[in-house]
Amino acid sequence: MKFILEFMEKKVKPLYGPGGRLSRLFPLYEAGDTFLFTPAETTSGPPHVRDALDMKRYMIVVIAALMPCLLFGIYNAGRQYDVVNQTGLSAFGHNLYEGALLVLPIVIVSYVVGGLWEVLFAVVRKHEINEGFLVTGLLFPLTLPPTTPLWQVALGITFGVVVGKEIFGGTGFNVLNPALTGRAFLFFAYPAQITGDGVWTKVADASHVVEGFTGATPLAIAGQVGAGEGLVPALERAGFTLKSMALGLEGGSIGETSLIPILLGAAVLLLTGVGAWRIMAGGVLGVSALAVLIDLVSGPDAKPFAHLPFYYHFAMGSFAFGIVFMATDPVSAAATRAGKWIYGFLIGALTVLIRVVNPAYPEGVMLSILFMNIMAPLIDHYVVQVHIRRRAAYLRSFRHA
Amino acid sequence: MVSSIIRIKRGFDVRLAGPPAAAVADVPPSATVAVCPGEFAGLRPRLKVKEGDAVRRGTPLLEDKAVAGFQLCAPAAGTVAAIEYGERRAIRRIVIRRGASDEAEALPRLGAGGTAGLAREAILENLKATGYLSLIRQRPLSRMADPAVTPKSIFVNGMNTAPFAPDLHVVVRGQEDAFQAGLDILGRLTAGRVYLCLGPEAEGDGPAVNGARNVEIRRFSGPHPSGNTSVHIHLVDAISPGDRVWAVKGVDVVRIGRLFLDGAPPATRIVSLAGPGVRDGARRHYRVGEGTDLASLLADRLAGASLRVVAGDALGGERVAADGSLPFLAGGLTVLREDPERRFLGWMAPGFGQYSASALFPSRWLSTRKAWDLGTNLNGGHRAMVATGLYDRVLPMNILVDQLVRAVLAHDVEEAVQLGLLEVDPEDFALCSFVCPSKTDLVGIIRKGLDEAAAEGL
Repeated sequence: MKFILEFMEKKVKPLYGPGGRLSRLFPLYEAGDTFLFTPAETTSGPPHVRDALDMKRYMIVVIAALMPCLLFGIYNAGRQYDVVNQTGLSAFGHNLYEGALLVLPIVIVSYVVGGLWEVLFAVVRKHEINEGFLVTGLLFPLTLPPTTPLWQVALGITFGVVVGKEIFGGTGFNVLNPALTGRAFLFFAYPAQITGDGVWTKVADASHVVEGFTGATPLAIAGQVGAGEGLVPALERAGFTLKSMALGLEGGSIGETSLIPILLGAAVLLLTGVGAWRIMAGGVLGVSALAVLIDLVSGPDAKPFAHLPFYYHFAMGSFAFGIVFMATDPVSAAATRAGKWIYGFLIGALTVLIRVVNPAYPEGVMLSILFMNIMAPLIDHYVVQVHIRRRAAYLRSFRHA
Repeated sequence: MVSSIIRIKRGFDVRLAGPPAAAVADVPPSATVAVCPGEFAGLRPRLKVKEGDAVRRGTPLLEDKAVAGFQLCAPAAGTVAAIEYGERRAIRRIVIRRGASDEAEALPRLGAGGTAGLAREAILENLKATGYLSLIRQRPLSRMADPAVTPKSIFVNGMNTAPFAPDLHVVVRGQEDAFQAGLDILGRLTAGRVYLCLGPEAEGDGPAVNGARNVEIRRFSGPHPSGNTSVHIHLVDAISPGDRVWAVKGVDVVRIGRLFLDGAPPATRIVSLAGPGVRDGARRHYRVGEGTDLASLLADRLAGASLRVVAGDALGGERVAADGSLPFLAGGLTVLREDPERRFLGWMAPGFGQYSASALFPSRWLSTRKAWDLGTNLNGGHRAMVATGLYDRVLPMNILVDQLVRAVLAHDVEEAVQLGLLEVDPEDFALCSFVCPSKTDLVGIIRKGLDEAAAEGL
């Protein structure tokens, strides 16, 4: 590898270094250079030795945790395509192939367009390119339906990176989760391409779809069930059991349909300590607590979601994906330990509340997380105030009489 | 004499290779010794000698214009060979060439009556006049003890959880009288208690330490920084606004005791020499002259070409020049390998050769006993601070590190104080900085914060 290092040092670095022709693009060189080789920088003062962990490694773990979701999403998108359009090609390989044709362009557009903005801001602001973008660039496509037009992908990631992050000062300073900001933008700007029954599965020829196909997701079905009707039987009539929804071979946003890859990702995040377990636990608790509570206090003719067993909420919609990958973004989440519990709990509770109160609303978890992103500094503020009071009391306890 | 053990869970032991052995070896006196005023923060020196003057051990070389009566003294007898100046005519070094004999000034000494016959003022005067007062640090703000203050308690730190510091039991061996005398002296300086903070009892402990008189022994167990003075104070006698606490390293108590027993600053003391940059078999404790040339201590004892000599431990110490002299305030030296090596695709490689406190590298999951030859590589680039929650895992105090650091960065001294700024020392944040994936200089940030708090008169 030495020749690469020498090539970079001798041929490439002078171009980007001070006085070089491309010196304005130095952040780009820094990114490429440190992508290839870890930096040569040594410690300038105490501590003189450092942990091997850096931001690159940290973010790469999130990417690795997302890989099962991406792969499953590709397979599922392709499988839905093959089944619904009755292509007659049901082989695993063909499912993957069709899925890749649908999903990979979305991921590539997200990375390329988002990456351009990231580099532009790094160059203008003269700071390093932050690796956090690698996560945003993959999270965003996983929240989209596989039929999203590519120009909308480009627009969405642009909004997410620029408005969701860079105008606040870049990574570390943003209030909102950039990937979700981008999705929320598309959701409100182009609802026809991101909601409804027609967007989750690509239909090649509407006259040749499999019998009984509506494209409706479990959440959409729940929205159509009348008050007083049982939601579970309605779901079952449409072919959705708890097991099938957990398995997730159904229409939905690319990364969120199946619990299995999400739980795999969660395991990676929790084992490495990269994902905040308090947020995830708080979210699960929030969903369970509010769902059980609403079930207890609602009458027999309450809205359909009211009497849904609480564990159905984890299998339906994108709550699991949201709480594992979106809510745990360390920049936009609450930073204090107690704050993380509260933040996670409220995301879970809000998600259930939106589902119950307004079942016509296609998915509440995105807005729950964005809302709690905004609330996170407030939660932290009160946690810190309590901490300060407790600290003062602790110090007083040492006062000599 | 109450002995209780306080168990600390949060923290992390950096398993750096090359701890110092318990053996003590003598280093012959070097031809020259030196005093570096720059080592003493806030000192405004006025010279009392000139080149060519003959001095005895303990003869004042300069006095402080800031703290009346505070002086720095010659660590050995001889002639002033050179007074070196640095930038803006700041005195960088006063070099003394040793004479044939090691005559010492006659300073106050403990009589048969022990410390009882010594007034508190006389003790403080002697500590100031010899510069030994600088061995006593004052909290909050981690400055030299203010002689006008009567601290509510004094903490003696007898632990060495940081990689690496001298072993108090090794240093006290043969100096039991000086250690006890030093503790007695400290007892005269406070109206409250003297706490002697030790690790768990172990084989080979000296009776003079474990059986120290006129102090309260507190024992702490757990990973670093369980041996940091801030942690001890926080758990035993926390600092409220307005409180003043003094802190002394255990090994320095021996020096203070020696000063009063002999009636002159001690000619030698015991320091540790350790770390991966020290040759096998040379990592141990050494009896060296005060202010000795480091070259005489380091010659033939180092391994490797590109090395960094750190006064103190690898986490909280300060870099010193290998051709300089032994810093007055450091208890030992840690030598590290300079490591600018670049690893190919390091972010993706499994990293079996990499050491980390996190679970993102195999080092956490594999061998837990292996010692690591860590170099000085930053292991990454500087990035924006992200609240990962890693800091709080390594500071066992009731402090929200992320919030405190952010308050300091925002120059919000009031909030920083509420969040615990007055309880901490920059060294407490060395481990936070060690684990930081953004490679943030938390030690420097907190040091600036303390300076700002001091400027506001807190």
